[in-house]
Amino acid sequence: MTRNPRGAQETIDRREALRRAALLLGGALAAPTVAGVLAGCQAARVPDGAWAPRALSRAQVELVAAMAEHILPETDTPGARAAGVHRFIDAMLAESFPPSERERFLAGLAEVDARAGRTSGHRFLQCAPADQRALLEVLDREAFASPPVPLSTTWRGGTSDEPAVPFFRTMKELTLVGYYTSEIGATRELHHAPVPGRYDGCVPLAQVGRTWAV
Amino acid sequence: MTPHDEPYDAIVVGSGITGGWAAKELCEKGLKTLVLERGRHVEHGRDYVTEWLQPWQLPHRGRGEQELYDRDYPIQSKNYAFGEATRHFFVNDREHPYITAEDQPFRWIRGYQLGGRSLIWGRLCWRWSDLDFEANLRDGHGVDWPIRYKDLAPWYAHVERFVGVSGERLGLAHLPDGDFLPPWEMNCAEHVVRRGIERAFPGRHMTITRVANLTEPHNGRGRCQARNQCARGCSYGGYFSSLSATLPAAQKTGNLTIVTDAIVHSVIYDERKDRAVGVHVIDRNTKQTLDYAGRLIFLCASSLGTAQILLNSKTPRFPTGLANSSGELGHNLMDHISKAGASGTVPGLEDKYVYGRRPTGTYIPRFRNLGGNREAKVAFLRGYGIQGGAARAGWSRGAEIRGLGAELKQQLREPGPWQLTLQGYGECLPRHENYVDLDSERKDEWGIPLLRVHCAWSDNERAILEDVKTQSAEMLDAAGCKDVETYDHDGPPGFSVHEMGTARMGRDPKTSVLNAHNQTHDVPNLFVTDGACMASSSCVNPSLTYMALTARAVDHAVSELKRRNL
Repeated sequence: MTRNPRGAQETIDRREALRRAALLLGGALAAPTVAGVLAGCQAARVPDGAWAPRALSRAQVELVAAMAEHILPETDTPGARAAGVHRFIDAMLAESFPPSERERFLAGLAEVDARAGRTSGHRFLQCAPADQRALLEVLDREAFASPPVPLSTTWRGGTSDEPAVPFFRTMKELTLVGYYTSEIGATRELHHAPVPGRYDGCVPLAQVGRTWAV
Repeated sequence: MTPHDEPYDAIVVGSGITGGWAAKELCEKGLKTLVLERGRHVEHGRDYVTEWLQPWQLPHRGRGEQELYDRDYPIQSKNYAFGEATRHFFVNDREHPYITAEDQPFRWIRGYQLGGRSLIWGRLCWRWSDLDFEANLRDGHGVDWPIRYKDLAPWYAHVERFVGVSGERLGLAHLPDGDFLPPWEMNCAEHVVRRGIERAFPGRHMTITRVANLTEPHNGRGRCQARNQCARGCSYGGYFSSLSATLPAAQKTGNLTIVTDAIVHSVIYDERKDRAVGVHVIDRNTKQTLDYAGRLIFLCASSLGTAQILLNSKTPRFPTGLANSSGELGHNLMDHISKAGASGTVPGLEDKYVYGRRPTGTYIPRFRNLGGNREAKVAFLRGYGIQGGAARAGWSRGAEIRGLGAELKQQLREPGPWQLTLQGYGECLPRHENYVDLDSERKDEWGIPLLRVHCAWSDNERAILEDVKTQSAEMLDAAGCKDVETYDHDGPPGFSVHEMGTARMGRDPKTSVLNAHNQTHDVPNLFVTDGACMASSSCVNPSLTYMALTARAVDHAVSELKRRNL
């Protein structure tokens, strides 16, 4: 039998993480970029006070965190906020989204506040939780009234061929990705095995218990 | 320009799936062998830098940076294996340009590193049969293959025994069985669909793929751990690659020298000796040039890479490219047409699931134009096979449905319905008008003329794809699937990463570049054993055939060398 040559290594130390991140991204990297890359490894350890958003304002971070928590709340497992979904969304907006799509997302956030103002006279975060939830249900219904959009294209803005994706669909997909790929989402909410070791094609669902994270 | 060193017995250009095989076979036969790789060095295990990263440790959770992809990886990022965890094994398109017409795209997927695309390949391994080797002769497209199945069968067995191919024996004449490790399991839903298809369509089969993922330890390599992340690299050696298998075997002989960052500009041809005497190399980093001398030259640089090198090796005797007296060099480019099929939901089985992540899927072998007298007549030549697989929908389905809050979270905690997708891979006809050539003005960073690719599907390939869609949907319907829908992503040539044919084998030096032993008709000590050598494309994944042809060609070359015929 061949053993895992690294041992059962599921965590990596910071120096090794830096080396890999640098290799991963092609060698020459500015220190802040590497730091950003390591956000995934670090998120759990950095308190919110020491973490600074790069695409969102503090107020927008709070808005995103509150909406994400409504989409995937704390139940018998932690919710979106505890999993750091707002940090993931900030990182994606800062590093992955083209400027036009970032702007579209920020405009979507502003529209949420505007809608809240029209219905209750307050910004979203000042609304009672039940009113917040009610507004998000309206947004959800509206977003899914439009024709279905294939997954992973929902982050893209409209092109000449296809209309823009409703903001709330983008928000929802980002929330789901951020949550279920987090350590909390993958290992506590879902079932995760980094090295399954074997494949069984037909087992009772109860044996795995939950959706596979990957 | 004369080579300045003591010549190597053999020079192998490229370290991908065929370069690795050429190196292993040459070294094991005692030849001092130099492998030249244009990309960087990659150390098996140590340089699989993302192998142990969990989803939350990937910079963007695997979703990557869209802006970067649009700028630097517009072509590579379209490949199914490309992603944040594998990007470093794909070329930067901006730094490695090639030319296509605006209305005639070609997706050239490349991995410039030691091991080449063997690190990121799909790993399916099928033997060809005489249905394939006789296809050109039968319908008159392309030139007749100079070999038949019996010529290659022992070499298929030779490479399968070393690679470790898992699979199910089917006893089909047109998809010959080989030396297999135990097959991967089909899952519950696939079994249901298999029974449905085989009941409704006698003569059609659904099987698990034959795949180079080890279901048990093999030749010192560990068994596949069912992670399904092969393209990140695998320290266990659970799948076959040059780095896990052939190069270490070559290294063990003491006869192997590897030089990375060595871009082969051209092959050096000595008119007086009428032999290839070496290669002209440019260092990728310093751009310094260097010549290496060798008695045998094996080009294993990929179908398009090899064509580019030969086209760029112009001499007074070969003004249009070395070994191109036929004028066929660069021509007859093929790929497999794919990215279309059907999908559906398999009802029931809600209390069943899978354990682990199987690194492969199912396969429906070709059932069209097999030559049976009761077969349905179809309006196209040749045929297709259908890859597929079933899985229960995961958490990502939540982004496509309404709902939020604790109810949504609870719903996604359990897997969704079983969904099965079929995707056809159709044979592409060899056509002279699909070709590559060199641009007369534009050059890359290393001064090598850019490759121009001119390639389009013909009506035959499009007709195949229409039949794929219809038949896939009918089979899913017959198997009791619900919500059956066809799809067609209209992939341009290159999409299947099975590009081949640019220096085809043949019987006649006037119409082909290579003979029955992958030896150029024009230059006896110059061999081409990558996909460039293919005279037709079959409909099955080609890598195993490239490997078998390489091993066979080395055997011939070395015996000719010993007889002093080269």
